[in-house]
Amino acid sequence: MSTEYSQLVNVALAYGVPLNTVTLILMLPIVVTIITFFRQVIGIKAFGIYTPAMITFAFFSIGVQAGDFSKGIKYGTSIFIMVILIGTLSRILMKRFRLLYLPRMAIVITLVALATLAVLMIGGFFKRTGLAGVEIFPILIMITLVEKFVSTQIEKGSRIAIILSLETLIISLISYSIIRWQPLISFVQQYPWTILLTILINIFLGHWTGLRLMEYFRFKDLISGKNVLKK
Amino acid sequence: MFSKSKNILGMNARNLIYIRPNNLKSAKKLADDKLRCKRVLKKAKVPVPRLIKSIKTQEDLDNFDFSTLPNSFVLKPNFGFGGDGIMVVYGRKKGSENVWVKANRSPVTEDYLRTHIKNILDGSFSRTGTSDVAFFEERIKLYPGFKPYAFRGVPDIRIIVYNRVPVMAMMRIPTEASGGTSNLHRGGIGIGIDMATGVTTTAIQYDRVVEKSPRGLLLSGIKIPQWKDILELAIKAQNVSGLGYLGADIAIDRENGPVFMELNARPGLSIQVANQEGLLARLNRVEGLKIKTVRRGVALSQNLFGGEIEEEIEGLSGKRIIGTVEKIKIIGRNKKEIKIEAKVDTGAGFTSIDLDLAKELGFSETMEEYERIYSEQGEWKELENLSVKERGLLFKKVPYLVDTAIINSSHGTSYRPVVRVKIIMDKKVIPARITIIDRQHLKYPVIIGRRNLKQFLVEVK
Repeated sequence: MSTEYSQLVNVALAYGVPLNTVTLILMLPIVVTIITFFRQVIGIKAFGIYTPAMITFAFFSIGVQAGDFSKGIKYGTSIFIMVILIGTLSRILMKRFRLLYLPRMAIVITLVALATLAVLMIGGFFKRTGLAGVEIFPILIMITLVEKFVSTQIEKGSRIAIILSLETLIISLISYSIIRWQPLISFVQQYPWTILLTILINIFLGHWTGLRLMEYFRFKDLISGKNVLKK
Repeated sequence: MFSKSKNILGMNARNLIYIRPNNLKSAKKLADDKLRCKRVLKKAKVPVPRLIKSIKTQEDLDNFDFSTLPNSFVLKPNFGFGGDGIMVVYGRKKGSENVWVKANRSPVTEDYLRTHIKNILDGSFSRTGTSDVAFFEERIKLYPGFKPYAFRGVPDIRIIVYNRVPVMAMMRIPTEASGGTSNLHRGGIGIGIDMATGVTTTAIQYDRVVEKSPRGLLLSGIKIPQWKDILELAIKAQNVSGLGYLGADIAIDRENGPVFMELNARPGLSIQVANQEGLLARLNRVEGLKIKTVRRGVALSQNLFGGEIEEEIEGLSGKRIIGTVEKIKIIGRNKKEIKIEAKVDTGAGFTSIDLDLAKELGFSETMEEYERIYSEQGEWKELENLSVKERGLLFKKVPYLVDTAIINSSHGTSYRPVVRVKIIMDKKVIPARITIIDRQHLKYPVIIGRRNLKQFLVEVK
């Protein structure tokens, strides 16, 4: 592993900021730029920018603690899917009570939390303690994902909520794979100022008015003129 | 492939080029506030579903007498979205007081309504979850022509209006999949509309082309009634809403015709699939045009974005198509009416009638007096040397004469009297100033000239 850090990183280390912290902070602009690229150019929406970024770092944290890149994906994805499933069930359950938004959401989160605890315990029972050994914070982040999911379900319907969840999962997995890539980590540690380039990229993306990749699929019949009416 | 894709409006361009600069925050806020929309639109003489009662507080609810409600109505949350929290009541249950029924015949009691209103007031259906206002409005009754297509709801018409020109339209039909709402995301059917005629074209469900409704009916070729009125409403709504890029939702009521339902500040893109055409190309065509009146906007829309059938041309400019010979009715003095065949001649400027016909129409005195002065002047030769003013003075005393005109015909130039009549052609009443000439040797005693053909298109056979 390369130990050649830039001046900036060395100064941060000298002041007692851990290397991992510096690296992750420098990675954040890259992650959010990846997310905006997916939204503006590819057309994968996901749950805004905050949720996929947080899920990415949750994956990262789980992966680091489990000491294995693939475990980050494995555990992260299972918790993610579990949260979505329990969230959907709780919402259906809560529907008949017609509570105000926040109290209802609090109950949904409670149910998801309890379910997560149950899953960890069941894992322990079957002597699969890998997940239970993971620090709780990334798991908590995953649990709060349910709010985004449920509120989307209410606003835009289940179909869209599920599509957006899958998109969030895909973006997070891709971002996670990128920020776990050792050459990128070394590069950022050596040339931290290069992350300012992401600002330029985002200015460009902010003016981008072309069709998104997904829209080429959505409008493919229009583009090919397949269904033009017989006059 | 890529050249055609240039005509398509994508999400990025819609947001950055059309919504951001044209739909200001205050206008968007108006679009979200259903009650305020209703007031603003009503003031601008745009018909909206009649408000029965709004309930703002618990106190309002306690004091409300439910027996004053009509047999059918709709209960809505003011800041609701996506059709959530809307309750449609179809009729009063027979033999019981204050019990109504929904479309699926399930009963709606007063208590049931109270609970629902309380939930609305608490904000259960509002976007922000904060307290809301509930209101009752008149239920739009299904137009019979749409009945076979709709499932439990009322189809509506979405029109994109930009720069005061309706650029694209689609009809949205509620289906079983969409649960009776016309929301396309939930599985409603969208059908493209030909802007000139208001006739439906291609249908889509979930962004895929479908040909028939779930009940097996062909979805293309449905004629939307009062199409021009609908286009006018959409433009008027844009004028008052301040939304430069507007999605106007209009429904058709069985009794009241087109009724404006909702303003939409960020209309979706699927309308392009339903019309099998890109929006961007159409938006570019109306960019920067100065549209002064609503009617101009309608005419432009129909002309630019319409199809090619003959009937469509008629609808398009409001012009009727006539042949070269038409049966007409002329109304002369003292309401004297004469039915006659006329030649339609776009080569002539003035409409002219034969001497004898003029006499029958009550212009005998006019002709006698005119001819007397005319011959005194040695006919045209002398008159030619007089100025317009002098000529006018000469004929001033001729009864019922409104003007005189120089007519060039096959046998030379002549100077003819002009009188005022009414002509009824193809059911249109045309006030006309016509010349009187000798047409005895000609087949038709009347020719209709360009001056009176402004409302028509002449089809030459």
